[in-house]
Amino acid sequence: MPQAIVMPKLGNTVESAIILSWHVGVGDPVQMGEALCEIETDKATLEVESSASGILLARFFEAGDEVPVMQNIAVVGRAGESFDRLAPVPAAPAEHAAPRVSHDHSDEKPADKVLISPRARNLAGRKGIDYSETAGTGPAGRIIERDIRALIDRQVKMSPVAKAMLASGEYQIADKGPIDKRITKSDLAPSMPGASPELKAMPLTGVRKTIAKRMLESMQRTAQLTLNTSADASSLRGFRARLKSSDEALGLRGVTINDLLLFAVARTLPAFPELNALYENDRILQHARVHLGMAVDTPRGLLVPVIRGAESLSLRVLSCEANRLAAACRDGDVLPDELAGGSFTATNLGRLGIESFTPILNPPQVGILGIGSINLKPVERAGAVAHVPHIGLSLTVNHQVVDGAPAARFLAQLRKNIASIELLLAL
Amino acid sequence: MPKSLTIDPREARQRSLLRAPEIPVNAYLSDPGAEAERYDSAELVNIYHDMRLIREFELVLDGFKKAGSYRGIEYNHLGPAHLSIGQEAAAVGQCLHLGPEDYILGSHRSHGEILAKGLSAIRVLEDDCLLDIMENYMGGAALRVVEGIDDFSDIESLAQAYLIYGTYAEIFARATGFNRGMGGSMHTFFPPFGIMPNNAIVGGSADIALGMALFKRINRKPGIVVANIGDSSVASGPVWEAMNFAAMDQYHRLWDARLGGAPPMLFNFMNNFYGMGGQPQGETLGFGMLARVGLGVNAAAMHSERVDGYDPLAVADATRRKKEVLLAGQGPAMLDVITYRYSGHSPSDASSYRGRDEVEMWREQDSIRGFGAYLRANSHADNQTLEDINALIGEKITRIAAAATDLGTSPRLHVARDEIGAMMFSDGRADALDDREADVTQPMAESRFEVTSNKHRFGLDEGGKPLPKLKTLTYAEAIFEAMLHRFYQDPTMIAFGEENRDWGGAFGAYRGLTEAIPYHRLFNTPISEAAIVGAAVGYALAGGRAVPELMYCDFMGRAGDEIFNQMAKWQAMSANALRMPLVLRVSVGMKYGAQHSQDWSSLVAHIPGLKVYFPATAYDAKGMLNLALRGTDPVVFFESQRLYSQPETLFAGGVPVEYYEIEEGEPYLHRPGSDITIVTIGATLYRALEAAERLRREQGLSAEVIDARFLNPLNYEPIIQSVRKTGKVLLASDASERGSFLHTMASNISQLAFDFLDAPVAVLGARNWITPPAELDESFFPSADWMVDIIHERLLPLPGYQPRTRQGLAEIMTRNRAGV
Repeated sequence: MPQAIVMPKLGNTVESAIILSWHVGVGDPVQMGEALCEIETDKATLEVESSASGILLARFFEAGDEVPVMQNIAVVGRAGESFDRLAPVPAAPAEHAAPRVSHDHSDEKPADKVLISPRARNLAGRKGIDYSETAGTGPAGRIIERDIRALIDRQVKMSPVAKAMLASGEYQIADKGPIDKRITKSDLAPSMPGASPELKAMPLTGVRKTIAKRMLESMQRTAQLTLNTSADASSLRGFRARLKSSDEALGLRGVTINDLLLFAVARTLPAFPELNALYENDRILQHARVHLGMAVDTPRGLLVPVIRGAESLSLRVLSCEANRLAAACRDGDVLPDELAGGSFTATNLGRLGIESFTPILNPPQVGILGIGSINLKPVERAGAVAHVPHIGLSLTVNHQVVDGAPAARFLAQLRKNIASIELLLAL
Repeated sequence: MPKSLTIDPREARQRSLLRAPEIPVNAYLSDPGAEAERYDSAELVNIYHDMRLIREFELVLDGFKKAGSYRGIEYNHLGPAHLSIGQEAAAVGQCLHLGPEDYILGSHRSHGEILAKGLSAIRVLEDDCLLDIMENYMGGAALRVVEGIDDFSDIESLAQAYLIYGTYAEIFARATGFNRGMGGSMHTFFPPFGIMPNNAIVGGSADIALGMALFKRINRKPGIVVANIGDSSVASGPVWEAMNFAAMDQYHRLWDARLGGAPPMLFNFMNNFYGMGGQPQGETLGFGMLARVGLGVNAAAMHSERVDGYDPLAVADATRRKKEVLLAGQGPAMLDVITYRYSGHSPSDASSYRGRDEVEMWREQDSIRGFGAYLRANSHADNQTLEDINALIGEKITRIAAAATDLGTSPRLHVARDEIGAMMFSDGRADALDDREADVTQPMAESRFEVTSNKHRFGLDEGGKPLPKLKTLTYAEAIFEAMLHRFYQDPTMIAFGEENRDWGGAFGAYRGLTEAIPYHRLFNTPISEAAIVGAAVGYALAGGRAVPELMYCDFMGRAGDEIFNQMAKWQAMSANALRMPLVLRVSVGMKYGAQHSQDWSSLVAHIPGLKVYFPATAYDAKGMLNLALRGTDPVVFFESQRLYSQPETLFAGGVPVEYYEIEEGEPYLHRPGSDITIVTIGATLYRALEAAERLRREQGLSAEVIDARFLNPLNYEPIIQSVRKTGKVLLASDASERGSFLHTMASNISQLAFDFLDAPVAVLGARNWITPPAELDESFFPSADWMVDIIHERLLPLPGYQPRTRQGLAEIMTRNRAGV
């Protein structure tokens, strides 16, 4: 009888492991206890030993495959023995033509669908609980009742009377320290007299609704880390002054400080592919080109049009394109395609006097650069303090996939490039 | 084996020879003079009339089946029509000396026997009695139609038309038929005329007829019972079992002589020489002549003889003589009545198995034509009289057939109103099925009840410690008390099976009954499971309460037809004209390996028409058996050998001494909880309680434990209530998992409580293997460990828990792929 080798269950919380490499090839003899392959879980790397002696008849998965625990991964037996019934049942067509690559149906999570029991869904519906970000503790990670109960417990609860009072708009939660358990009538105080007529209720629609959703999602789904620094803006300013006074025929007079910064970012990013990347579906997609998003403030709200292939554009062309897209956004005739497909974003609040801030990522992008205002910064030069204009730079990265050091290295390079912007233009 | 019968080795080892009686073959000699003395001309002409009527009746069916019309009536008959054209003399001759109190049971080919028996009963019964029967049977539905067909000059011709109409309407599946269409061509019957169930399973009537004969003997009722079965059925197990069961020595040696001896049972083989297409005589069997088989059964050779079934007077003579033997208690009797059908087995029969010339030879000897010639030759009737009879029958049959095929006058049942569902069970309650005094051999106060009633009625002391088992009422003794109670209440109740007397059943549940109950109410049977259940079916249909026992559940296979096709079906097939107060006690084994340890409750729960009970505690055993023994429906009553010696430890009040009943279909909640529900069937209850206790102790979880107690009927309400509360449910039983009744429960729960489920319903049964030897029990039957493991894997992962066995969902896939 051929014997199945299963992906061992390595602990209560381990649901799957990745095969790093195979030590034994199909057709090779193997002894009981011999290491068959190396696997990696979220916690450790270890070896799967053969539980039988014989010939390795089949390997159901390739190195790199993630395999649910207790799933058959290989078969050991006598040469020529049939082992079909031990093969995992094939799921969707496999990407590579490995023999019968498959997943255990029981552990398979339908794409984009939260696995939740009818009871838990029912309870969540009744209590108005959003469970989309919850990790289930049921079999195969299913969200079960206790998970929803846990969410409910974390919510600040409100008595029905308090709820009705708040909904009337005539009351608000009184400012008398933290509320630990449940908001009741006694926690409410009348709103400021005559306050309500001044309130203007506006339903969220269109761009605002999308922004609201995306900003929240961004904060919930990514681990954001913001690094603040500033770059010497002397040459930036000088160069900008020269452009402004240049021959009109050159068409460079309209180039702004912001355009120069976009140019610097576009030229710096190609050396830092980990920042010019997307993170989705457990994969990192690094872009070869820089599709640079730029945040534009419009009456409808924030829009982020994308300058395609920005790393290859000349300053003049890039400036024109930025100008055109910003105008299109403000006029409301920007195309949907012009708002999609960015690989990195820059946002500028410097013109409004903000020195530094924490930009919010635009997922699945993993980086966003906030540009602050230019301020004089005391710098020690030859033993004396000089006041040098510096422009604020705030880089937010998704710390899930970008570590702090590479982000800092990018900022360092960017700082250097801004400080000597003319040299960058010469490249 | 009673101690009063000694097996003497000297006698057993004695050299001698067996001498057997001679078997008469066609011994009857026609003697017109003697016959004219025995029967007057009118009686003899009636024989002709009845044979002609049967022939005409079946020609109509033949026309409908083959041509879709007969004498201008267009009708497409969808159901079966196994015709007996050519066999009329055997049917009519038999009934000449049978009264309404005598029962006949037939086969799929029994239209002729039904009509012959009915016509003979009508001639015997008084007018007011006939009217009473017709008015009251099924609310007079058939009578209403018949009264509209003609103005009948006398009650006898009205009753004849009623008989013909009721039979046709039954064959055509009409609500006005004798069994509201539920019996049909192969099962039509009419108890008031002694026409009892006709059986479409070959030989099926033999053991059922025996049960009716037992009923007559034990309850001192008049009449004999005739099983009209085919020649090839003699080779079927149940027929052979019934013949031996009918011939037991104990009727003469051990039973109260005042009862009158052996059951009055006539095995009447309608020998038409074909079992569908195979020929028992010459091809498929080796008896040479069927009548020989009687030699193998008892010293009297069952009084067997071969009779010429083409001469109605020869058949009448033989039946009359056998009836005398039977009424004298000297049964059983056996007749090999040779006859022949010209018609095929069924309309699709191309007669590939017999030559045209063979059929022609028999046609030339046609009994109706022959008997007409006999009547004319001996001046009992002239040609004109016979012609008039023919014409009258033709006209009458045509009009009745027209009424029976007309959907306006003869409608079908309203299936939409679930009229069929309403017939599946009689749901009656009867303390006694007769009002005479019950035969017992000691007052109840002196019986073993005196001992059991003084035992501890609850198995634990106040501190929760077990009391001595011998001083505490056990599950087996709870069964005993319920049986004893009903034995004293209901004079018709009998119990039988292997080792029931003296031994008290293999597991001692009947210990103490031998002393209290006489032989004819509690007796040992041959090891003939089919006949044990079949005889009980007949006994119950005849009006008594029967409690057969199968020593091991695994032996149900030996009684498969009797349980699945007979016990389950006859109430509805009779349209509730008959009831089935039958409790089949079945013991689920343990520690005896693959053929003695199976829980087959799922098999019977699958069969419509059976009630299925499975008590798991002494309290339920008594209360549920009390319930079953007062009902009027067939109940398969499962008991577990794990439990026989167990005292009551769950119902705090213990087992009441007095009579009580459990409400039918109600599960019982033994342990309330809020986190998870465990529903069990049978003895897994205790393992579930153990698992619940471990969940509490080790995981702080609160498990609710419910014993289903009933498989059918079953009130899901309490189970659903629990699942709505906990959202997680595990079902467990000792039956093998594949096809287990638990899956029916799981499916129902999933549908009834879908939005409340926190995980799919988990089903835990025994493995889909043979039951291994006792030493490996743990690998096969669900344990508390398995229960906690499956809860962890499928319902609610338990923090820090390491399962001991593989119960994950992947196992379902793997095991099914391997077929185990």
